[in-house]
Amino acid sequence: MLKIIISGLWKDKFARMGMIVLAVIYLAILFAPIIAPYSKDYSDRSLAYVPPSKIFTIDENGHFSKPYTYNYVRKFDENNFNVYNIDRSQKHYLKFFSTGEDGKFHLVTVDKGGKLFLLGTDINGRDVFSRILFGGRISMTIGFLALFVLFPIGMLYGGISGYFGGKIDTIMMRIAEGIMSIPSFYLLIILASILPAGMTSVQRFLLIVVILALIGWAGFARVVRGMVLSIKNQEYVQAAKSIGASDLRIILKHILPQTTSFIIVAITLSIPSYILSESGLSFLGLGIQQPDASWGNMLKEAQIFSNIIYRPWLLTPGFLIFLAVLSFNLVGDTVRDILDPKSKD
Amino acid sequence: MKIQGYVLSVILFLILFAGACIRRDVPQNITENSAQTETLSVNEYPVNRKNVTINGVDYLQTDAPVGNFGGTLINSTIGEGPKTFNPFNSKDATSSTLSDIMYDGLVTIDPVTGEYIPKLAKSFEVNGNDYIIHLRHGLKWSDGKPITADDVYFTWKNIILDGFGNTSTRDSIAVEGKLPTVQKLDNYTVKFTTPKPFAPFLASLSTPIAPKHVFEPAVKKGKEFFDTFMSTNIKPNELVISGAFKLTEYVPAQRAVYKRNPNYYVINSKGKKLPYLDKLVYLIVGDVNNEVLKFEGGELDVIGVRGTDVPRFRERQKKDDFSLGNLGPDTGTMYLSVNINDRKNKEGKPYVDPIKQKWFSDKNFRTAVDYALDRENMVYNVANGFAKPLFTPESLNSIFLNKSLRPYPRNLEKSKELLEKSGFYTDDKGRLFDKEGNRVEFTLMTNAGNTEREAIGVMVKQDLEDLGMKVNFKPIEFNSLVNKLLSTYDWDMVIMGLTGSPLEPNGGKNVWMSNGALHMFNQRGQDEYNIGVLPWEKELDYLFENGATALTFDKRKKYYDRYQEIIYNEKPMIYLYSPLRITAIRNKFKNIYPTSLGGVIHNIEEIYIDKEDKNGNP
Amino acid sequence: MEILKYVLKRILQTIPLLFIVSLVSFFIIRLSPVDPLAELKLNPSVSQETLQRERERLGLDKPIGIQYILWAKSFVKGDLGITSNGESVAQKLKERIPNTLLLTTLVIFLTWIVGIPLGILAAVKWKSPLDRILTVLTSIGMAIPSFFFAVLLLIFAVKTGWFPIGGLTGANYADLGFWGKFSDITKHLILPVTVLFTISLAGLQRQMRGNLLDVLDSDYVKFARAKGVSEFKVIFKHALRNAVNPMITLLGFEFAGLLSGAALTEYVFQYPGLGRLILEAVMKSDINLVMASLMMGAIMLILGNLIADLLLIFTDPRIRTGGENA
Repeated sequence: MLKIIISGLWKDKFARMGMIVLAVIYLAILFAPIIAPYSKDYSDRSLAYVPPSKIFTIDENGHFSKPYTYNYVRKFDENNFNVYNIDRSQKHYLKFFSTGEDGKFHLVTVDKGGKLFLLGTDINGRDVFSRILFGGRISMTIGFLALFVLFPIGMLYGGISGYFGGKIDTIMMRIAEGIMSIPSFYLLIILASILPAGMTSVQRFLLIVVILALIGWAGFARVVRGMVLSIKNQEYVQAAKSIGASDLRIILKHILPQTTSFIIVAITLSIPSYILSESGLSFLGLGIQQPDASWGNMLKEAQIFSNIIYRPWLLTPGFLIFLAVLSFNLVGDTVRDILDPKSKD
Repeated sequence: MKIQGYVLSVILFLILFAGACIRRDVPQNITENSAQTETLSVNEYPVNRKNVTINGVDYLQTDAPVGNFGGTLINSTIGEGPKTFNPFNSKDATSSTLSDIMYDGLVTIDPVTGEYIPKLAKSFEVNGNDYIIHLRHGLKWSDGKPITADDVYFTWKNIILDGFGNTSTRDSIAVEGKLPTVQKLDNYTVKFTTPKPFAPFLASLSTPIAPKHVFEPAVKKGKEFFDTFMSTNIKPNELVISGAFKLTEYVPAQRAVYKRNPNYYVINSKGKKLPYLDKLVYLIVGDVNNEVLKFEGGELDVIGVRGTDVPRFRERQKKDDFSLGNLGPDTGTMYLSVNINDRKNKEGKPYVDPIKQKWFSDKNFRTAVDYALDRENMVYNVANGFAKPLFTPESLNSIFLNKSLRPYPRNLEKSKELLEKSGFYTDDKGRLFDKEGNRVEFTLMTNAGNTEREAIGVMVKQDLEDLGMKVNFKPIEFNSLVNKLLSTYDWDMVIMGLTGSPLEPNGGKNVWMSNGALHMFNQRGQDEYNIGVLPWEKELDYLFENGATALTFDKRKKYYDRYQEIIYNEKPMIYLYSPLRITAIRNKFKNIYPTSLGGVIHNIEEIYIDKEDKNGNP
Repeated sequence: MEILKYVLKRILQTIPLLFIVSLVSFFIIRLSPVDPLAELKLNPSVSQETLQRERERLGLDKPIGIQYILWAKSFVKGDLGITSNGESVAQKLKERIPNTLLLTTLVIFLTWIVGIPLGILAAVKWKSPLDRILTVLTSIGMAIPSFFFAVLLLIFAVKTGWFPIGGLTGANYADLGFWGKFSDITKHLILPVTVLFTISLAGLQRQMRGNLLDVLDSDYVKFARAKGVSEFKVIFKHALRNAVNPMITLLGFEFAGLLSGAALTEYVFQYPGLGRLILEAVMKSDINLVMASLMMGAIMLILGNLIADLLLIFTDPRIRTGGENA
């Protein structure tokens, strides 16, 4: 089945583009420590809000040269503001595939003393490009993790409820409906705002995953239950029952596998909404917290008007969220077209 | 066909990529922006006001330049908007601002000197414990009833001293548990008597005066009714006011609109009744970012400008129709504090881990932290340079500021020296340990969602890690943070801000006195009062008690100088910086004399719109 | 009569549901370490006495179970209590509901009159370039983070000066005539409506497309085609009628979203709606306000589903009232 999906995806122009974009993003965040010139916490506070480094390949005399860059120097003027001027006194050549100042191996870095900020820096003088790569690790995985938590719960819950029917079904579905009746965004905020304060960033990340999952499982369970209702009357299920297979075994072995294609479609189509939820939460200051990076909390700086006008590089995470979600949507659409039997001729 | 398409797009991509890579290095002449270097400053407030009597009415006459009548000024408040229009119920700044416009107090502060001067009162005398207030003759409420001593007596006796509404005024004037008394001498004279000499009492006389005939029925219905009296759903025409402007429209979460009071008692030098402006609008804006956008979009006339936004405003100022003013340091302070609480909770567990508490209560440790902080870069990065490093609890524009306490730069060597003195040591990896060999590691908190404080937190973390400490920086939700600071006391180090008064340090007694409700660094619950009071805390108690009851400014200054010196030396709270107050106002408004103490529109009745101004809208 | 009985039964069924919702939300909120009085406590000018009074008024000194019973008692009586600022919750909600309704009904109306035809178009021209383009366009709409889009639009408004910066009415609104007021509100609504429209259009268009495709694939449509009925007639007379049914269910859900769907957008645009109010209330743990809004959201969802089911009974006589209504 996987083969069908992948070859189907590759045939479709838009889905192919989506897959390529996602592959690039995931490879980039996987190899973040190598690709990023700096760590996520590296900061040079004398260089806050520095514009992206300019890289030159033709020197001032018009000759080709190894790529190099100049540093910025801050000039502060009582009546003005931080002005960054290019310091032309020293060229800093780019080094590829070598060790940087931190003694670690990097894809690209600069000579000693040089600074390479491909997408400028933020308020604390941290490299935005590096933070985007490390932040992507959180933003791009949180949705997947949440789905891994909620899908087993939802499937089992929906499976049991649909299979047994009757009173059990009524009670289980009422509870699920109760959870669904709470507007999900507010439930998300309420849950996020009660996270205890003394947590490490890993704990916080995991708890946000759990919260996202808590909100999604009920709706999913309902759909699974609907499918189970129709599957359980099929002959082979009845047959399995008649030979005395246990209920759990029937649910796990005979009924739930029937829902696989639905689940694959649901997964690809719901990842984007989790990515968006995380970014919205972090944007409000309730998700991933400083000094950790996520695309949502990096975007918080983009609320400040002056930043958008003078420091457009701070908007990059927003475009990346857009790109990633769009790619997921394109891929998801195609997956659905492939797997949904109704849209096949 | 397909393959060709591929090859083509790959080639195109390569060309684009190469194009992006090849960039020629052309040296540019760095242009010095000399045009922009005019300094931000403001004009002095040159206006004098005097009492004149015309036809038996005691007016307050201003000699400010005469202007035109008419027009609107649009101001803003940040937040959710007012909770009440009853000036005696307001507990937040927005409600106070929006209700105080309508009700004048007996006195007000001089926006330049900070002294108290008569407002609704014609004059006042202070004789020891007695404050004798002479009211203006012939003044009327907006419904035509006269303003007399009965109103003043009623306001003080039946509302304030009887504890109706927000009791903070009453609490602030209690001296050793005893309250002042009020007496009506005649229809236009009232006498207040404080149980002991009490300097801050004069400030409380700026509390609004209520119309007795409107408030009395509400007071008779009891405190519970009074709490809901004149709430935000009051019909504006039911309001009876004495101030320069009267509410005509309130749209929740959007704006409050005020119309000029045609019978206001301030007149211009030609004898015409002020204010000039027809309408005063307060837009209710949710946050600073939106406020900036609204100003830029022309929807606002006045704004306080954050350091971050100053460059933008300076650039716009050249083409646009507003000017910026620098009012000097603001009253807000930003500080870092440690929890030195050594008490135990009801279950017998210490509030603060005893190992950490030992560090925090060590003066050398606190001083080391202080010297490690890089205030200069905080000012540059967070406030864009529009702030001043701060070392004292009084803000830089306070008239009680102790100027002998000198600022000092970051000094890591000194920090290390101090830590060594207290037995701290670092291992070969640069990690800091205390005498007993415990790794120095603690949590630094601030309220999440505040970009400035989060940025400062990141810097403080790095600064302290330069000393080998391990700092876990955790911004948490504001209300949870307050709960920790004031109820559960389970915190190590925190970055917070407070707003104080530049005129009256006595307001800080909540923070500094050992039993104060905001004595965060060593907070005591009600059952812990007077337990474990440190010697310097005792001295602070003494200073605040005596500072409030000393009468002359010089005597008071001595007490408050000493309190600042204690904080400066003991460092329970380490002050970081105080932002500069930059304001912008449209050029069409005239008689604009912003001051550090009064703000931009302290003389709202004198402000008018210049009709000659071509840019200004009529 | 039968319908009346059905409605009654459905309403009775919702009571345990509301009980679960209220219990879950109340305990979640009260378990949080957030102090509803934090703001007052930090205000140096608020006295201990004032604080104590607020605490008693909100019942914060009692155990959580009793707090819930107190709350539930007054809720059943129709008393929603007061906010942590001392304002009446019912009053606050009353101020905001019309604004939010204005915004969301407008958005729903627009998405329906645009989304449904586009969905039909895409289904009819299935797998044509037009269909593909529509799919990609709607994907783009779904992919923009709403708050980010809103921020960008605000900047656009400032730069061009074409639109007001947030809010619902201008400063001089009260002085305008009827048409002046109308155009003032319209101008303020354009940007938030654009954001919400862009985001919700995609879902609707896709849903409609999918439904119609399903129906077009069904036996009776195939039969009609085989009979030689014109394609136009097949789509508009036979297929569409049946494809609209699931859309009515969707409308039921949208009805619930009416009051809560737009929080982030309202937040960025400073729109005086319910979403922003609740958002602020949740962040402050203003329990009465949060509880009232959550309950209202739940009731709206139940009502929406009920209305949708009733509509289905009227549009499609095949559905029996006694049937399974999962």
